[in-house]
Amino acid sequence: MATRVGAWQPLVTRWGPLVVLALALMFPLGANSYWLTVGIGILTFAMLGLGLNLVVGYAGLLDLGYAAFYAIGAYTTALLSTVGHMTFWETLPFAVACSAIAGVIVGYPTLRLRSDYLAIVTLGFGEIVRITATNLGFTGGPNGIYAIPAPSIMGYQFFSQDSQYYLAVAFLLVVLFFTRHLAHSRLGRAWLSLREDESASEAVGVPSVRVKLWAYVFGAIFGGLAGAFFAARLTAISPDSFTYTQSINILMVVVLGGMASFPGVLLGAAVVVGLPEILRFMQLWRLFVFAIGLVALMLLRPQGIWPAASRKENPFGPGSERKLGPPLPLEALARSRDGDGEDAALDVSGLRRRFGGVLAVDDVAFSVRPGEICGIIGPNGAGKTTVFNCITGVTRPDGGDVRLHGHSLRGQTPHQVVGVGLSRTFQGIRLFKNMAVYENVLVGMYPHQRATVVDSLLHTGRQRREERDSLLRCQALLRFCGLEGLAGHRASELSYGDQRRLEIARALAAQPKVLLLDEPAAGMNPSEKQALMGLVRRIRDLGVTVVLIDHDMNLVMGVSDHVVVLDRGRKIADGTPREILADERVVDAYLGRDENDEEVNAWPS
Amino acid sequence: MARRYSWILAAAGAMSLLVAGCGSATTSSSSSSSAPIKIGVPVPLSGSYASAGEDIVDGAKLAAAKINGSGGVLGRKIQIVPVDDACDAQTATQAAQNLVSQNVTAVAGGYCSSASLPELQVFHSQGDLPFVLDASTNPQLTELGYNDVFRTIGRDDEQGPFAANFIANYLHAKKVVVMDDNSTYAVGLQQDTVKALKSYGITATVQHLTPGQSDYTSVLTQINQLHPDVLYYTGYFTEMGLLLKQAHQLGYTFQMMGGDATNSPTVLSTAGSAANNFIVTTAPLAQFLGTAKSYVTQYTQKYGQAPGPYSVYEYDAVSVVAQAIKNAGSTKASKINAALSKIHDFKGLTGTFSFNKIGDRTPAVYITLRVVNGKFTAYKELNDAGQWVSVH
Amino acid sequence: MSVFVQYLVNGLTIGSFYALVALGYTMIYGIIRLINFAHGDLFMVGAFAGWLVVAAAAGMHLPVAMQLLLALLIAMLAVGLLAMGIERVAYQPLLKSSRLSILITALGVSLALENGAMIAFGAGFDTFPANILPLTGFHLFGAQVGYVQVAMFALALLLMVGLYLFVQFTPVGTAMRALSFDQDAARLMGINVEGVVLITFLLGGSLAAASGVMMGLYYTQINFMMGFLMGLRAFTAAVLGGIGNIPGAMVGGLLIGVLQSLSAGYISSQWQDVIVFAVLILVLVFKPTGIFGERVVERM
Repeated sequence: MATRVGAWQPLVTRWGPLVVLALALMFPLGANSYWLTVGIGILTFAMLGLGLNLVVGYAGLLDLGYAAFYAIGAYTTALLSTVGHMTFWETLPFAVACSAIAGVIVGYPTLRLRSDYLAIVTLGFGEIVRITATNLGFTGGPNGIYAIPAPSIMGYQFFSQDSQYYLAVAFLLVVLFFTRHLAHSRLGRAWLSLREDESASEAVGVPSVRVKLWAYVFGAIFGGLAGAFFAARLTAISPDSFTYTQSINILMVVVLGGMASFPGVLLGAAVVVGLPEILRFMQLWRLFVFAIGLVALMLLRPQGIWPAASRKENPFGPGSERKLGPPLPLEALARSRDGDGEDAALDVSGLRRRFGGVLAVDDVAFSVRPGEICGIIGPNGAGKTTVFNCITGVTRPDGGDVRLHGHSLRGQTPHQVVGVGLSRTFQGIRLFKNMAVYENVLVGMYPHQRATVVDSLLHTGRQRREERDSLLRCQALLRFCGLEGLAGHRASELSYGDQRRLEIARALAAQPKVLLLDEPAAGMNPSEKQALMGLVRRIRDLGVTVVLIDHDMNLVMGVSDHVVVLDRGRKIADGTPREILADERVVDAYLGRDENDEEVNAWPS
Repeated sequence: MARRYSWILAAAGAMSLLVAGCGSATTSSSSSSSAPIKIGVPVPLSGSYASAGEDIVDGAKLAAAKINGSGGVLGRKIQIVPVDDACDAQTATQAAQNLVSQNVTAVAGGYCSSASLPELQVFHSQGDLPFVLDASTNPQLTELGYNDVFRTIGRDDEQGPFAANFIANYLHAKKVVVMDDNSTYAVGLQQDTVKALKSYGITATVQHLTPGQSDYTSVLTQINQLHPDVLYYTGYFTEMGLLLKQAHQLGYTFQMMGGDATNSPTVLSTAGSAANNFIVTTAPLAQFLGTAKSYVTQYTQKYGQAPGPYSVYEYDAVSVVAQAIKNAGSTKASKINAALSKIHDFKGLTGTFSFNKIGDRTPAVYITLRVVNGKFTAYKELNDAGQWVSVH
Repeated sequence: MSVFVQYLVNGLTIGSFYALVALGYTMIYGIIRLINFAHGDLFMVGAFAGWLVVAAAAGMHLPVAMQLLLALLIAMLAVGLLAMGIERVAYQPLLKSSRLSILITALGVSLALENGAMIAFGAGFDTFPANILPLTGFHLFGAQVGYVQVAMFALALLLMVGLYLFVQFTPVGTAMRALSFDQDAARLMGINVEGVVLITFLLGGSLAAASGVMMGLYYTQINFMMGFLMGLRAFTAAVLGGIGNIPGAMVGGLLIGVLQSLSAGYISSQWQDVIVFAVLILVLVFKPTGIFGERVVERM
C-alpha cells in the first residue's frame, strides 16, 4: 500500500489538474449556451468556495455570512463603473481593497470569540450588509444597480457566453494560484494548526489572532473578487443575490467537497450549482431531492466528496536531496550561547496564583542556570503545571515575575513568550493531529520565519529559500528525535512515545533558549524512559536549558542537575538531586500520598 | 490510493458525459414543422414566491389548452415550458439560458423584477427572443429600449397616480401614510404614489416594513401616532392580511388600502372579519372582469382554488404571443417581435389592449375593490370624464 | 408612555415564540454541540400539524377549546417524534465526524423539510380559521393588550418553566446536564447517552411545535418558509442568551422580541434586523459567551 501511494500520487497530482483544465477549456466546444451559463455559475461558486475554504477549511472558523464580501466586491465594482465611469479592470483593486477592509472591520473585534459565537457574528454581519444595501439610496435600494458595463480588453467586449466563460476560467485560475500559494506557506500551516488546536498553536508561537485575521482578510479578498466578476458578468446586481442562503450555499461547496481540499472545493461547486440544474426536470421535487441527496452524501462521505489527503509524501524520502540539497549535520541544531548574557536562564520570583479560594501557587521562586537541566517535582496538586502555565503566559499570575535571560515575561501572551525563546510541551499530548509529522515541526518554526504575507502569496525567491531551509532544519530535528522515517505520516498515526518526541521536536523548532517539558515520561515504559533521558541530555548538549516536570523520581533525579520541589503551591526544597533526596520535608511530602492521581490541570481544555 | 485515482476518472467521466449530453441536447431538439411551438415561462417555483409562480404557470397551461383545442398555431401545438428562476439573479440567468437551449420560440412570464431583468438581458442577447411580461410591473423593464419586451399588465407608475387620485379625490384624505416592504416592486409603487399625492397637495409620510416578520404591531403603533386618514400599503398580500388583523386588534380605525399585490384571498382568510372595508387598487382580477367569468370557473374546476392575481395576465400573455405568431406566419423571433408591436385592440380576458412604442400595455386599466362581508367586491373606477363612479 | 408599553407588550408576545424555539436550539447545542439548523423547520412542521388537527377536529364539531388542546398536544408529539427520527437517521451517524459535516447535514434536513412541506401543502399560505381566537382585550397603561396575547405568553412561560424544572430536578434532566458537561464521563457513569440525546430532540422538537401551533393560531397564516426566519431569530436569541444555557435562551428570546419591537417602533422597521444583529455583536464583543453563557468545551 505504501509503495502505491508513492506510485500514483505524483501521476495524479501532476496530470490530474491538467486533464481537468483541458476538459474545462474544451467545455464550450461541446456545450450549448445553457450549460455554459451553468458552467460560469460553477466557476463563480468555485472562486467563492476557494476563498471561504481559507477561512473554514484551513483556519477552522465557521463563517455564515460570507456573501457579505461577495456583495461588497460586487457593489464596489458596480458603483465605480456606473457612477465613477471606471473600466472593470480599474474597479478590481477597489473591490478587493473594500472587501479586505470589511474583513478587518468584522474580524478584528470578533476573532477572539469561540467559533460558534463567531458564526453568528458573521451571520449578523452578512445580514447587516444586505439590509443596508437594500435600505440605502446610493446602492439603488432593492432595485440594485443596472447597466454595469461588461468587461473589455482593448476594445473586445466580454459579452458572449463563450468569452464570459473563459474570463471566469481565468479568474478561477488566478484565485486558485493565490489560494494554493497561501495554503502551502507558513501562513497556511498556521491556519491548519489553529483549526486543529488553537491553544496549542498559540503555545508553539503562532500569533493566533493575527493569523486568523489574515484568513479573514484573504477570504474577503477572494470573495470580493468573485463579486466584482459577478457584477460585471450579469451587468445588474440587487441585494437579493447576497442573502444568508447564498452564504450557506458557499459553505456547502466547501464542506461537501472536502475541507482544505482544492479538488474537493471544485467538485463541491460543481455539485452545489450543477445538481439542482440537472434536477430541473423534477420541477417541484427539485430542491427536495437535492436536499435528500445532500444529506445522503454527507452520511456516506462525512469528510466530503474528495477529502484532503490524510497522509503526505515523506519530503525526506529518496531523491529529496535533489530538491532540498544535502541534509544538515545534527551539529547545525546547536545554538550558540554567546548572546545570552550573564543572567540566569530562567528566574522565577515571588510567583503567586489563586484559583477561587485556593492558592495554587504561593510565592514560588527559583532560578535555573544556563545550560543546566532543572527538574521540578512535587506531589499532586503541588502546583507544578500552574507554575508552567504562569511562566508561559497561559495563566496570568497574580503576582511575581519571570525573567528569561534577564528579560521579563510579565504580561506576555504565549506566542510572545515563544518568540523570546521559551518553548514548552504539554502534559496531555497536544499535537496537530490531522497534519503530517513534518508539518507539525514546520508550524513550530513560525516565530523564526521571515516570509511576509506577500512572499507567501507570490512564493517569492525569498519564500522558497526559507521553505527549503526550514525543511532541511525540520529534517535534522526529526532525525535528532528519531522520527525522520515517519515525516509524512499523520501525527495521530504515531505511537504514544513517538508523539511525545514529536512534541519535543516541535518545541525545539522554535529554537528556544529554554525548553519546558511537562511530564514528558507520562505513560512510557522503563526502556522508553531511559531513551527519553538520553534525548533530554542531548537537547541540553545543543545548548538549550531544560526544565522538566515529572512524577517519576528516578527520571528526574537521574537526569537533573538541579531539582526544585513544590508542595501545596510552595517551594519546599531546592538543590542538587543528592541534597533533595536527603531532605526530610521532601520525604514527608512524598510519603503517604498517592502518586498516581492526576494533578489538577489548569490548562484550558 | 487506487481509490483516489478513480475519483479523477469519475470526475473526468462525469465531465465528458456532461459535454456529450449537452452536445446531443443541442442537436436533438429540431424545429420540424410538426413539433410543438414552445413557450417558456420563467417564474419562481421554489422559495417564498413559489405560489405566485405556480398560479402563473397554471394560467399559461389553460391558455395553451384553449389554443390547442382550436387547432393550435400554424398547425402546430403550443407547449408550455416552465422553469424555476427562484427570484434570484444567477438562477434566473441559468433558467433563461435553459429556455434558450430548449429552443423556445417565445417567452411569456416573469414575476420578480430582480429576476426578470437578467432574464430579459439573456433573451435580448440570444437573438431578441420575444418576452411578454405578465406580472413584472417595474417601469424600468420596458424603458431599456429593447424591441423584444412587452407586457400585458400596467406599470407601477400608472397605478401610483391612480391610487393617489382615489385617495385625494374620492376619500378626501388629509393625512396619508404610504408604506412599502423594501421590495423592488413595492418601493417603486410607493414612490410613484407619493409623487402623485404631492401633486394633489398631500404630503404623505413614508414608512417601510421588513416582510416575513409576522408581527407588525410596532409599525402600526408608530403609524397610529400620526393619526392618519389612510394607510396605503404597496407590498404583498401576506403582510397585508397581518396588518389588517393586527390593526383591528389594536383598535386602530384609519382606512387601510393596498396595492395590486395585496389582491389575494389570503388577505381575507388571514384577517377574517378585520378585513372588512379594506380597499385595494388593482388591475382588474379575473373575478371582476366580465370577460373572464368562464376562465375563473374553468380555473377553479381544474386547480381546486380561485386564480391568483396574475394568472389571467399570463393567460393573455400566452394568447397574445400565439396571435402574433399567427399574424407573422412564422416562428422567427424578429417576425414575432414585429407582429407583437403591431398588435392592436387585442381582445384579451383582461380587456382590449394594444402595445405602445416601448411595449407597454395601453390602456392600462385599474379599479378599486372593497371587502364587504369577507369578500372582495368591485368598488370604484375612473370614468372617461375623470370622475369616480361605481364599477358596474 | 402608553406607546412604550404597547411596544413592550408586542415585543414580549413575539419574543415568547422566539424563546420556545430558542430553547430547542440551546438544548441540542448543549448536548451535542450542533447548531441544528433544521430546528426552525420543525417549528413550521408543528404549525402545519396543528393546522391539520384543527381542521379535522372542526370537522368533528368538537368545541374550540378541545380543538386547540388537541392541536397543541398532537403537534407536539408528532414533531417530537419527527425530531427523534431525524436525529437517528441524519445526525447520529455523524456525531463522531467533523462538526461541519453534521452542520451541513442539518442544513440539508432543513431544506428537505421546507421543500417537503411545499410539496405536501402547496407553496401558498394556509390559514387557521381567522376568528378561532377572540380579538378582544383590555387596556394596560394605555396599551391595548389582547387576552390571547396574555394566554400565549402564559402558556409559553409555563412550558419554559416546566422544561427548566424537568432539566433541574428529574433523573433524565440530570443526565442531560451531565452529558452537556462531559459526554464521555457521562457514558462511563452508565448514562445511556443515545437515549438522552433522543429525549433532548423529543423535548426540543415538541417545544418548537408548540411555538409553531401558537404562532399559527395567533397570526393565522402559515407557510412552508415560516421556519426559516424563525430559525434565524431563535438561533440569534439562543446565542445572545448564551448558547447551551436554558434560562439564557428564554431571556434571549424575549430580549430579541422586545428589541425588534422597540427598534421597529422608534427607529424603523427596515433597520430592525440591523439593530438586533448590531446589539448581538456588541454584546458578544464585550461578553464573548452571551449573557448567561459559561465556558463550553468545543470540538471541531
